[in-house]
Amino acid sequence: MYDLELEKVVLHIQKKKTKRVLLQLPDGLKPEAQKIVQEIQKKTDAQVFIWLGDCFGACDFPLGLEGLQIDLVIQWGHNTFIKELGW
Amino acid sequence: MVELLLIDGKYTRKIELDAKALGKLKKFKTLAVYAAVQFSSGLQSILAQLKKECITVVSSKPARTKEQFQILGCDVYHENMHLQENVDAYLYIGDGRFHPLALVFQQRGQKFKEVFMYDPIANALAILTEKDIDAILKKEKASLKLFLMKRRIGVLLTTKPGQLQFKASLALLKKYPEKEFYFFLDNTLNSKNFENFPFIEVWVNTACPRIGLDDAVYMKQPLINLMDALEAEKKLSGV
Repeated sequence: MYDLELEKVVLHIQKKKTKRVLLQLPDGLKPEAQKIVQEIQKKTDAQVFIWLGDCFGACDFPLGLEGLQIDLVIQWGHNTFIKELGW
Repeated sequence: MVELLLIDGKYTRKIELDAKALGKLKKFKTLAVYAAVQFSSGLQSILAQLKKECITVVSSKPARTKEQFQILGCDVYHENMHLQENVDAYLYIGDGRFHPLALVFQQRGQKFKEVFMYDPIANALAILTEKDIDAILKKEKASLKLFLMKRRIGVLLTTKPGQLQFKASLALLKKYPEKEFYFFLDNTLNSKNFENFPFIEVWVNTACPRIGLDDAVYMKQPLINLMDALEAEKKLSGV
């Protein structure tokens, strides 16, 4: 029902030689996590993590990922957030 | 540095209004149409349907969005919508209430127009009115009054880079020199932590403005958004 663009995701991970990737999904797409993880693990060597909690938008980027040496975050259901001074 | 890859997750099926939904929308001359990003690039059929019914469709690219027709949950201030035309109603395409409620919030202080929500998955049309945010507006008004009256204010800053608004929050010091401002930092804001700082009389949220609306109504302590705090008197006078 939704285009997860898994081919693009896999190609990106392969091209960048990503080692650890974090997946963030809006609630409605969270059940797709299994399919996404399986596809990435089948076609790349990346270790995949799934964000458990909310992800309300591209503005909602988790902190402290360097500690886990995560080098790529993939968010579905969002596009570029243009930050401005104030709201 | 951690790289971010964004995937729209576009809805792959045809998006069309059913006859019942179209029937309810026929009475409007001008509709402002918005959608979540999963649906915003697939609106051609709906736009053609509305055109066929002689309904004028308008839209905009709100301040923080990437494309026309798209709406974000944080689009809760009318000036950020960049919508030039007067409309008879709003039509939101997508599922859930989070995004269409932004269309209700952004009408605060404006003459209210109904917000229709069309869910293409359930093929269902529902409506949001001012009543849906009535309790939130009452709480907001009370909190704005308290903000103007009280002295010790807690300013909530998030460490999330996309939502960090420290620089913008400094305008509070200039605008209200008689107040004492205490700046609090956290990743995800949790109102349970407010209890540890009983000297704070009113909280000002500088992170996602939905915290100061949807979430604030459930909080014991008064909490308002930064942009509303900066215009508290104007908001209360209804100007």
